Parts: sequence; C-alpha cells; structure tokens
Amino acid sequence: MSRTIRDRNMDRKQLEQWLAEEASGRDEAADAACAHLFTALPKVDPNPAFVEQAVTAALRWRTRRRRLVACAWAATILLVAVGVALVFLGAPRIATSVIKGFAFVSGRAVPWLLAYTTVAMSWWLTLGHVGGVIASALITPGRVVAVVGVELFGLLAFYALQRIAGAERLGDAQV
Amino acid sequence: MSVAQSDAELAKDALGGSEAAYRELVTRYATPAVNFIHRFTRDRALAEDLAQEGFLRVYQRLKTYDAERKFSSWFFQVLRNITIDYLRVNRLPTSSLDALEEEGHRAAVIDRESASPEQAAEQSELAVVMSAALAKIRPEYREVVVLRYQEGLTQPEIAEILGMPSGTVKTYLHRARKELAEILSESGWNTNV
Repeated sequence: MSRTIRDRNMDRKQLEQWLAEEASGRDEAADAACAHLFTALPKVDPNPAFVEQAVTAALRWRTRRRRLVACAWAATILLVAVGVALVFLGAPRIATSVIKGFAFVSGRAVPWLLAYTTVAMSWWLTLGHVGGVIASALITPGRVVAVVGVELFGLLAFYALQRIAGAERLGDAQV
Repeated sequence: MSVAQSDAELAKDALGGSEAAYRELVTRYATPAVNFIHRFTRDRALAEDLAQEGFLRVYQRLKTYDAERKFSSWFFQVLRNITIDYLRVNRLPTSSLDALEEEGHRAAVIDRESASPEQAAEQSELAVVMSAALAKIRPEYREVVVLRYQEGLTQPEIAEILGMPSGTVKTYLHRARKELAEILSESGWNTNV
C-alpha cells in the first residue's frame, strides 16, 4: 500500500470518528476529534523567501522612520535656531512693532467690543423681561392643574396602548 | 539568542532593535499567518501579501503590545483586522466563491471515485472536502473554527481576539461543528453512523 493511500484511509477514519462523536452529542469528545482531524489537514506553506521579505520590509520601514525622525529633529533645531537668531538680532525693532501693533488693535477693538456687549446685554434683558411677563400670565393655579391633568391623561393613554400592543404581540407568538 | 525564548521576550527584543528576534518571530508565525488568512481569501498569493502586511503592522506597533497578553492573541487580532479590512474593500465576487466551492466538491467526488494515488497525491481529499465545507458555513463560525482547530487557540484566547464572551465562542464552535458535520453527512461522508 502506498503511503498516500494509507494517509487517505487515516483521513477518512479520523473524519468518520469525528462525525460519530458529533452525532452522539458528546461535545468534548467531538471537540477533541475535530481538533485531531484538523491536524491531519495539509498546511499552506509560505514561499521560502517569505521570512526574508518580511524582515526586509520591517528593516526598510525602520530605516525610513529613523531618517524621518532625524529630519524632523534637524528641522526643529534649525527653526528654533533661526527664531532665536531673529529675535536676538531684531529684538529692538520687533518689540517696537509689536507694541505699536497691539496699541493700534486694542485702540480700535475695545470700543467696538464694549458697544456690541452693551447691545447684547440690552437684548438679553428685554428677552428676559418678555419671558417673565408671558410666564406670569400663563402660570395660574387653574392652568397648572389643567396642564398636569392633560399630561397624566396622555401618559395613561400611552401606557394602555403599550399594554394592548404587548398583548397582541404575545398573542401572535402563541399562534 | 536562546531557542526557548518566549514570543513576548522576542517581541521585547525586536522592539529593542534586534533583527534576529524579529526574524525568529516571523519564522514562528509565517505558516499560521498564511494559513489563517488563506481560509478566508482562498488565494495563496493574496494570503501571503496580507500576511506580509500583517507582520509589518505588528512590527510597527510592537510598542503597543502588552507583554501580559499572549502574543499569538494579539498577532491574530492584527491579522484578522487586516483580512477584514481587505475583504470589506475588495469584496470577492460571490460567484467565484461559489465556483470554488463547486470545484472543491467536484474534486472530492472525482477523488473518491477514482481513488488514484496520483490524484490523491496532488491534493488531499480530506483537505478539499473540509475546505469546501468550511467555505459554506457562516464567516463568524469559520473564524472560530480556524482559530480553534487550525491554530490551536483556546476559547478564552479566541474570545479575546474576536472581542466576544467566551460563552459565545463555545456556542459558535458547537454550531459550526454541527453545520460542518451536516454538510459532510449530506455529501455522503457519514458512512459509519
């Protein structure tokens, strides 16, 4: 008997053993038989260069990343150095310009900001006043009782509907 | 480098820059990785490509690996995500998948009837039959079966990889085996029972 045919017979035996365990309902035995069966299945072997390719790809990525990190550091150091040099060399001029700019902007922005804030405040107060008037007109003991009553009635109606719908679903399930 | 180094130790060394440690990890997991993906893509070249991507992603994310966890769980989680992402973007046409299944069954029938050693040597009958049956069950069941029986992971490990309770894994395994058994029985394999 050739090795292949013997293997085929073993495969069949393992498969039939698992199917028998499965049919008998013995879960653990079926689990073990199935595991045993899978060990007999041939594996797909990756090509011989697979490991080398994976390692090369990882090393390439690492090299690229290191270069990128080095470039980022170099760029940061360069920027900081240029910034420091500029500040050191042009500090008197920059300081003057910054102070002038700040004074110019604040001189125009502050009055505008104050004016808009005042308008917004007045609108807010007006709205508050109107809201207060409406609320005081609506909220009387009789109206509060009416509103609460309507809400309670609505809740009861909703509950009743839910009960009816639930009973219908149960009825369907029983059918 | 010690032969008995654990996966976690190798991962730590690889993170520290050891090429040999990473090479050892790849060597250990190359076949399981390709086989795992192959069960879902049924394309060897594609499985190898995705496995390569998986290894690279693992290398890139070694910093995030928690040595308290089992390396294989983390590794298969990465592989699974890559495979799912690929299958989502490049949906395999249903017809071709069906065709593969049909092809599998036909090959099995021819193999059984002819019982030619040459044919059997070309492709294992059991492999063809099981592959076709696996392709027929629900993907979530297939995933659990492959991780449990092909990769030999435990139920808690599978639960961790798939992000589901261990009880669900157990249920899936039970149902998957039942479905596989039914498919094989319908194909005329259950001769003893």
